[in-house]
Amino acid sequence: MHPYQQTDILNPIINFFLQKGVPFDTFILILMLPIIATFIAFLRQVVGIKAFGIYTPLIITFAFLATNGIKYGIAIFLTVILAGMIMRFILKPFRLLYLPRVAIMLTIVAIFLLGILALGGNFRRTGLASVSIFPILIMITIVEKFVAVQIEKGDRIAIILAIETLFISICGYFIASSLWMIKTITLFPWIILFTLPINIFLGKWTGLRLSEYFRFKEIFKHL
Amino acid sequence: MILRFIKKIFLYKKARHQILGMNSRNLDFIRPFNLKKAKEIADNKLLSKKILRENGLAVPNLIGRIRSREELENFNWQSLPEGFALKPNRGFGGEGILVVYGKKKDLDNVWIKADGSLITVNSLKNHINNILDGSFSLSGTPDIAFFEERLKLLKLFKPYCYKGIPDIRIIVFNKVPTMAMLRLPTKLSNGKANLQQGAIGVGIDMSSGITTTALWGKKKIIEYIPETRLLLSGIKIPCWNDILSLAIRAQEISNMGFLGADIAIDENNGPMIIELNARPGLSIQIANLSGLKERLKKVSGLKIKTVSRGIRVGADLFGGEIEEELEEISGKKVISTVEKVKLIGKDGKEIEVEAKIDTGAYSSSLDIELANKLGYKTEIEKFQKFDFSCYEIKPENEQKIKNFFEKQYKSNLSDIKNIAVIFSASGSSIRPVIKINFEMNKELIISKINIINRKSLKYPLIIGKRDLKKFLIDVNK
Repeated sequence: MHPYQQTDILNPIINFFLQKGVPFDTFILILMLPIIATFIAFLRQVVGIKAFGIYTPLIITFAFLATNGIKYGIAIFLTVILAGMIMRFILKPFRLLYLPRVAIMLTIVAIFLLGILALGGNFRRTGLASVSIFPILIMITIVEKFVAVQIEKGDRIAIILAIETLFISICGYFIASSLWMIKTITLFPWIILFTLPINIFLGKWTGLRLSEYFRFKEIFKHL
Repeated sequence: MILRFIKKIFLYKKARHQILGMNSRNLDFIRPFNLKKAKEIADNKLLSKKILRENGLAVPNLIGRIRSREELENFNWQSLPEGFALKPNRGFGGEGILVVYGKKKDLDNVWIKADGSLITVNSLKNHINNILDGSFSLSGTPDIAFFEERLKLLKLFKPYCYKGIPDIRIIVFNKVPTMAMLRLPTKLSNGKANLQQGAIGVGIDMSSGITTTALWGKKKIIEYIPETRLLLSGIKIPCWNDILSLAIRAQEISNMGFLGADIAIDENNGPMIIELNARPGLSIQIANLSGLKERLKKVSGLKIKTVSRGIRVGADLFGGEIEEELEEISGKKVISTVEKVKLIGKDGKEIEVEAKIDTGAYSSSLDIELANKLGYKTEIEKFQKFDFSCYEIKPENEQKIKNFFEKQYKSNLSDIKNIAVIFSASGSSIRPVIKINFEMNKELIISKINIINRKSLKYPLIIGKRDLKKFLIDVNK
């Protein structure tokens, strides 16, 4: 039972869904999605943090939420990226076609992850081994995104974007798991409608991104 | 502290209006001006090549193309020339491009790459397979590979480049070239002229085609080619106006309102369009130390009818930075080899003439006809009656002649203060010197000009070194 599920001031909207048999956690997580998505859009348009698009950081945020404890989530994420990097160097001289190459990557990453899980068990980190399978599968598949960026934009950019993705996902995790946020959504579920005007504003905003103030700093002296 | 902070905020506000950011580029310029149809042309290299060629613009020749595995198997490798460039049709950022410089003589189907390493037909096939698979295409969709003639590096650029060919990126908006940048391949970029991959971008002054500031990679401002003493500013791009007109024509033809045209110069065939870009990068602003947004705003709304008008507007609006900069640093004005001069004669009489700037002469000299018109007729006629025949005009006699003039004749004259004894290959002469003031490039020069018959010469006035102390001369102007 969730702590907020028992408050007597439950919003009628929530009540309706609960009575239809929708689990409370599912309800909250689904409503969390537009908030995290808006947060990612804000970081992209106003701050200038790119990450791997909107889908990857979003899905990783939820993968983090689904693992028991964010540290295990981060450990799995880093393992995937590290394996992806190492494999890139190993596979480079073979000059393989794209899909087979990604398939090999996925194989190796999967083996790597099994190793990490076993290692966790060895050190009595049972939390790691008991992470449910879906977040693990989700994180394995981000290796494709990583490889695609490696090919398109090079290793350096791929690593930067991976770090940005990790950063956004960690922020997203803390937003989505903050008690204040859960409480707010429980009490006023309609609040997520506010993401619409916010996103319309973001979609029309043509100002400089925060990162661009740094990028173009040199020009400032000459304005 | 607080004051500095407020100052900074004002600066940021200003920057917002002048610098083009990603958001504004996409929403204000690409979306409304680069319609889907036009973007499709730009993203499809073979199509844009075809359309540009049909309209009479220079593009590198197409040697052959491979659309499928089948065509790859049946491809006649002997049909390839010694050097060529292999490109993916929908590639971007210079990815997937392979340049071959020559054929290995004693081996069959082996070529030599830019770095001197060899590439066999099997590796080529593999690369083409990757292209067909879409490894280098924008959305990862299956692609076409094509062979193109390899451009010859211009001698001028040779010392500045590592392996590949430099190109010139020109942003054209509303038929006006708004900003330009020379992109030089480096060791870091592995011979590719792409800033993201570590090439050098050098800003170009729009009116003169001379390079200004250099940017290495995404952020670093440099002065010299790394590890050398080769200065990056002050390189004069050849065929500058042809390049600009190519870029403007490309915009007209592709119908792309906001275009980044990439133009390379071939040693034999001159400027050629190598690529059209519907989403030009923003680093060009750093290389020019100037905001693109402000420039685009200035250009929008203008009605430009012809290509040459577009070039002129671009030069007028966005050129001349070099001159201004030089004038600022040196406090001197930049003039060309021929300048308009306003002569101020007796009683304030003014005559405007074209003068030749001659750094080979020490003093300025003026045609006798003009001097007469300026009101010195009676004096000059008096002078012409003087007799100097007692001295031979030779360098060793110069002082004696001058002394003789002082003693014998000077007291009769009011305007002629002195004489000049000129020794030259075409004949030596004794000329009267008159104090005449003139105005050039808004500077008043107090000068002593010698008078001689220049009737058969192109310019009635030459300005010599003594009167050029306030100026710098640009022979390209």
